[in-house]
Order: sequence, then C-alpha cells, then structure tokens
Amino acid sequence: MRDMNKNNTAGAGKADASGDPLGPNSEIGRKLKQYYDELVSDEVPDRFAQLLAQLEQADSVQNKG
Amino acid sequence: MTVSLAFKTDLLGAIPSLRAFAVSLTQSADKADDLVQETLVKAWDKHESFQMGTNLKAWLFTILRNEFYSQMRKRGREVQDSDGIMTGRLAVHPAQQGQLDLKDFRSALEQLPEDQREAIILIGASGFSYEEAAEICGCAVGTIKSRVSRARVRLQDILKVSGEAEYGPDAISTQVMGSSVA
Repeated sequence: MRDMNKNNTAGAGKADASGDPLGPNSEIGRKLKQYYDELVSDEVPDRFAQLLAQLEQADSVQNKG
Repeated sequence: MTVSLAFKTDLLGAIPSLRAFAVSLTQSADKADDLVQETLVKAWDKHESFQMGTNLKAWLFTILRNEFYSQMRKRGREVQDSDGIMTGRLAVHPAQQGQLDLKDFRSALEQLPEDQREAIILIGASGFSYEEAAEICGCAVGTIKSRVSRARVRLQDILKVSGEAEYGPDAISTQVMGSSVA
C-alpha cells in the first residue's frame, strides 16, 4: 500500500515540457481546465443582476433616511 | 458609505468565476448558486473592508469559501479530512487511448476530499498563484502545494492516467492490449 503510493508520487512528480505538472501537456491539467472553463462559460442566471439591483436600491433608501 | 459603480461592475464580472468555484466546492448547481448569492450579499455588506486595487477575485473567493465551510459546519456535516479517505475506492474504468471523458473526470474530482479539490481547482483552473491560494484557504503555501500534489496523484490514480499522457506506462499498456485483440 505504502509502496504503491510512493510509485504514484514519483510518476506524478514528473512535470511536462513546460515544467508545470498541471500544464497543457498534462492530461489532468487539460481536463481540469476544460471542466472549469465549461462552468465559467455557463450562462449567468438573472437572479444575480436582480440581487445587485436590490442591494443598490436598499443602499439608496438607507442613505436618504 | 455607498457602493461604487466600479465595485458593482467588478462584482458582476466575477460572478461566472464565483459560480464555477462554487460548483467545484458543492458539486451541485443549486447549492452553488445559493452560495454565490450569499457571497454577493456578504461582499456588498463589507465592501468597505475591500481595498481597491487589490485582487477582488481572491477576496470574493475567500468569502465564498468561508461561507461554504460555515454552512457545512452548521449542517453538521463533517469536513472531509484528506487522510481519512481511501484511494481509488470508486475507480472508474481506465481511459481509452489517453482520451479522458469529461464525465469520468468530474466523478473523479467528486471523490477528492474538499481541501484537495479546492486546492487543485484554485491552482490548476482558476489561475491563482500558490500564494493567493494559500491566502484564500487560510493556510501555508506549502500546505497548498502538498494538497495540489496529492490531488493530482489521486486523480491520476482514479482515472488510470499517467502524468505524461503520451509516454506514460498506461499509454503503452493500452497499445499492447489493443494489439493483442486485433
């Protein structure tokens, strides 16, 4: 069990050509970015713009009072 | 103190990243959006404590992360400890020809303990430096480095891929297995 972990760590320690183990030449690095970019490009629901508008409105009411 | 237009604009601009980070943490789209909402309200309330010119994204990620862990504690859910999790418990089938399915990757990511998952997301996907990630997570730079490294090893283990896709032993064994069938 311990030895297996050691081997894995040694293998994973190898960086890709750019020296970055999570860089574009690493399968894990590429998938990680693909996974995340997909989430970032997801359309933002209206509720957030509405929320900020509400917060702004609450502020202006408070400032007047 | 009124919230400046610039702050509001930056806040709006950060929402896609905040949602992505929130989904990565919660593994649920609904919970993620609630978390982002809480984060925006908190950020609005304490906007005076943000220093203009410093990294707003890092500041917001810190708020979101704190909110996530405090909600988990409130729900009585134990925060996963990376040392207590068995490796490769739910190993997915080996990737074929080095091509990794995004669905498999997602499920592998889900198996990581939270501390490792957030570390590898912050460093490998959100574009933060180790120093920034350490600040967001409130820990030492070395801790982030070791979490990222353990996360990478675990993902490679679960997904049966090697660090170097083209030349790793897995790519070779796939070829060997493929040719024996033919």
